[in-house]
Amino acid sequence: MKRALVPLAVLALLALAIAAPQYITVRYYVQLILLAMIWTIMAHGQNIIQGMTGYVSITQAGLMGVGAYASTLLSIRLGWPVWASMAIAPFITALFSVFVGYPSLRVKGHYFAIVTLAFNMVIFIVLMNFTSLTRGEAGIFNIQRPEPLFGLVDFDDRVAYYYLVLTVAVVMTALTWLLMRSSIGRTLRAIRQNENLASACGVAVWKYKLFAFVASAFYAGAAGALYAHYIGFINPETFGVAQSLDAILAVILGGTGTLFGPVLGAFAVVFLPEYLRIAESFRLIVYGLLLVVATILMPRGALPLLGRAWHAAARRLGFPK
Amino acid sequence: MVEVLQQILNGLTIGGVYVLIALGLTTVFGILGISHFAHGSISMFGGYVVFYLVTQQGMPLAFACLAAMGAGFVLGIAVERLAYRPVRDASPINAFIVALGLTMIAEGANLQLFGADQIVIPTNLQSVFRIGALTLTELRFYIILLTAGLILAMTLYIQRSKTGYAIRALAQNRNAAILMGVNVSRITMLVFAMSSMLGVAAAVMIGALFAIAPGVGEGLAIKGFSVLILGGLGSIPGAIVGGLILGVTEALAAGFLSSAYKDVIAFLVMIIVLLVRPQGLLGKHS
Amino acid sequence: MKSFRTLSKLSALALAAGALLTASPAAAQRELVIGVTDALTGPGAVFGLPQANSVQMAAREINAAGGIRVGTTTYNLRVIQYDDKTNPTEGTNAVRRLLDRDNVKFLLGFCCSGATSAVASFIRREDAVMLVGNAAERAITTQGIPNLFRTRPPADYTGQAAGAFVARQGPRRIAVIGSLEVGLYVQYLDAFEKEFAKSGGTIITKEAFGLRDRDMTPQLTKIRALQPDALLVIGYVEPAAFVYRQSLELGLTVPRFGFTSGSEEQFLRVVTSAQMEGVWDLKPTELTLESASPVGVRFDANYRAAFGSSPSPSAPYAYDQVYVLKHALERAGTVTDTRRIADAIRTATVPPEAVMRYLPVGGQMFDENGQAYTSNGAFQWRNGRWVFVEDLPSDPVDYSKFLRSLRQ
Repeated sequence: MKRALVPLAVLALLALAIAAPQYITVRYYVQLILLAMIWTIMAHGQNIIQGMTGYVSITQAGLMGVGAYASTLLSIRLGWPVWASMAIAPFITALFSVFVGYPSLRVKGHYFAIVTLAFNMVIFIVLMNFTSLTRGEAGIFNIQRPEPLFGLVDFDDRVAYYYLVLTVAVVMTALTWLLMRSSIGRTLRAIRQNENLASACGVAVWKYKLFAFVASAFYAGAAGALYAHYIGFINPETFGVAQSLDAILAVILGGTGTLFGPVLGAFAVVFLPEYLRIAESFRLIVYGLLLVVATILMPRGALPLLGRAWHAAARRLGFPK
Repeated sequence: MVEVLQQILNGLTIGGVYVLIALGLTTVFGILGISHFAHGSISMFGGYVVFYLVTQQGMPLAFACLAAMGAGFVLGIAVERLAYRPVRDASPINAFIVALGLTMIAEGANLQLFGADQIVIPTNLQSVFRIGALTLTELRFYIILLTAGLILAMTLYIQRSKTGYAIRALAQNRNAAILMGVNVSRITMLVFAMSSMLGVAAAVMIGALFAIAPGVGEGLAIKGFSVLILGGLGSIPGAIVGGLILGVTEALAAGFLSSAYKDVIAFLVMIIVLLVRPQGLLGKHS
Repeated sequence: MKSFRTLSKLSALALAAGALLTASPAAAQRELVIGVTDALTGPGAVFGLPQANSVQMAAREINAAGGIRVGTTTYNLRVIQYDDKTNPTEGTNAVRRLLDRDNVKFLLGFCCSGATSAVASFIRREDAVMLVGNAAERAITTQGIPNLFRTRPPADYTGQAAGAFVARQGPRRIAVIGSLEVGLYVQYLDAFEKEFAKSGGTIITKEAFGLRDRDMTPQLTKIRALQPDALLVIGYVEPAAFVYRQSLELGLTVPRFGFTSGSEEQFLRVVTSAQMEGVWDLKPTELTLESASPVGVRFDANYRAAFGSSPSPSAPYAYDQVYVLKHALERAGTVTDTRRIADAIRTATVPPEAVMRYLPVGGQMFDENGQAYTSNGAFQWRNGRWVFVEDLPSDPVDYSKFLRSLRQ
């Protein structure tokens, strides 16, 4: 029963996501769900390096920026079709991340985190100062949506773009699922549990760690491209360390290392500030408390808790286990 | 040549402040294996307290510093007890995430309590020394002296005193030290208290020489960890050498290469060290 | 089977919840809602909060004076304000919320370029009118967006006038230090340099500092070795104040010009009045009591009474937006047809209630780009405060043509 329930729940959620824009008349909520789905992709990427491999990377937003700028510049400066730019951006981000990951992975644990954080700052500084390419803080305007599909689907319509993002989010979620079940996924989890042991067993640990980092960058690049062509404007502000911390928070809150935890976390990260509408100082305090309390009291995130609550409720209602 | 010397002089001041921050971080790391990322922001809280006591309560600077160091002492212990201790036995990643959360809380609290405007701790040191073509303000001169004094005192304490001996023993071999009767929780408290006091001292120097504003503490923590990576994790001489190198590199980079990319250049130096000597300049092979 | 039924119940519940979320509030009669998007917290709040306050104040004044008369109906203004934290995503979300959920058609405020630019990139497609305040990024009004207007002139309009002024003061070799990562300062500098070069002057170096940098001695040491005739400091007040202090400490005693728009209080936190003596600030005239009209003096007094603090010099950019909107609504005779309202704004003259001193182009407040112009002024620090010395000759008609030529 339990095994059958999970795919059913997934299908129901998917159906809900597909139906949502048809029922929601206030388009503001469509935008929020759309952004949350972009953040879902970000969080999946963060989960691969943080949740599965056990290395906290604080540069996910910087990598998102690489993807966003790559896609934007290809389409605006080189006149590439938007589709091609968006498709190639994740690969550029992944390639870039090899150069970030290689030196960063020479240190372990906390120091990996610090080095990646410094890389995020470097990306930010370069985006700010390399004005001949990026226009710096002033940002790039009028980033086009993708060309109409078969002359039918017009992506200037927010709902059409919503379905594009939904498709990518579903594909990326499926990819994560495959990765988790693969032997690579098992090796990554072995590294998280005991890196020395994995290394002693003859696993080329650094290759797997680099793979995890590059994979997470690929996700960030895809999210960045989707973001840039949706909002239509980018500047470095969106790709700073604060947003990287949001990605970490999404994974922690939702459930480290789980498949759907980051989805939950991503929605929380997008919807919480919109609903709370609190001052920046309180946002910092609330997010910080969430991080500390979640790590101490529910180190496995909200999803396992919800799962337990669901089972308890199911028992109460008399469902067979 | 004068320009090079002047730039080195410029860099030494900020480098000294980096050393103070890095010393706090490196002792905490040595004893507990925790990256106390909130160190910078909590230190800045101490700096804000000094500002408040001096400007609003009219307290003399020296007393205000002592009071703030006391506050830093208490906060340091509270943070260790309430936040770090519960995750001590979990994976080290959890402690780091707790540290990130603490940083956000400290930054948010500073913003809420003291506002977004920058603050400068007033001193009446206005004169400037000129030696040939070199210039050094009186304030910078005293800060360099004070930093050197604090570094010396700290080193002597760790190297010579009985408590210092226990701290080093704990850092070298935790289990052996416990077996030899070292009181871990007392030493832990002491180390947190000591690093917080050094942090507050650094914050006051930043606040007097430059300014305290949102984000400054976080920036200092990042610089402090860069120093640790540069000099070697857990190494006290490494923190001193690394801090001075980072400060001087930044000044030279801004003066001779590019002011826009000075932080990037300083960071590249760190990456190169990481590639050539992953254990840091003065770190030991693990 | 049971679980399927539960699921369908669940999804029905979710749909019901969705329907609840989407229920829009009923529009109140004879009440007109205007939206403010601005940096209310965070680093941009220095500019954003006074703007938001000014809009509230103008709305209260208008309501107290009988509201806005459109045709035979009288409307009272209600203001909804959201915080964009100077972040592009937050700004976009805030505006979507105003447009989609609160059914607002009039967007005011907008102090800071990042969030404003993000909104500007989609506002053309919306049934709304957007009035930008202090955000100075030039590209906001180079796109020919028909429903966007801006009360603050772009930075290079001021930079041009400043370049001519500094050239007249005599220096030939100038060293620049500033926030050169920020678009508006770069634009100011480019226009300055072009104008300054016309009279044979050169800029010998351009040194950058970041928003959080406070130690400028490395840059200033380098500048000192180059022996310039003068120093030009462009950037936010907080770092700029340190440049003024440290330049003297390093023995750099050349004349100092700036574009910082900082208040006396902001500077005195960092530097002594003696260290500031003689520094020039070359900026839009904005709100300074000495150069203010009686309207400006009244604005200042009312603001202090209402909010217990002095308004920022740029606060009236947002105040003036409300009066621009009021007159446009009355002239257009509609509160729903945003196209006609935008047309009314485009052909409007400067409202008599305006605090800033606008220089009309062809008799109208806004030019064909939707851009308004104020006069520029030279201010000098004398004995502890900024003194208005003279108007900087500026040519809005000429600049307006230039701005039009940038449109893609």
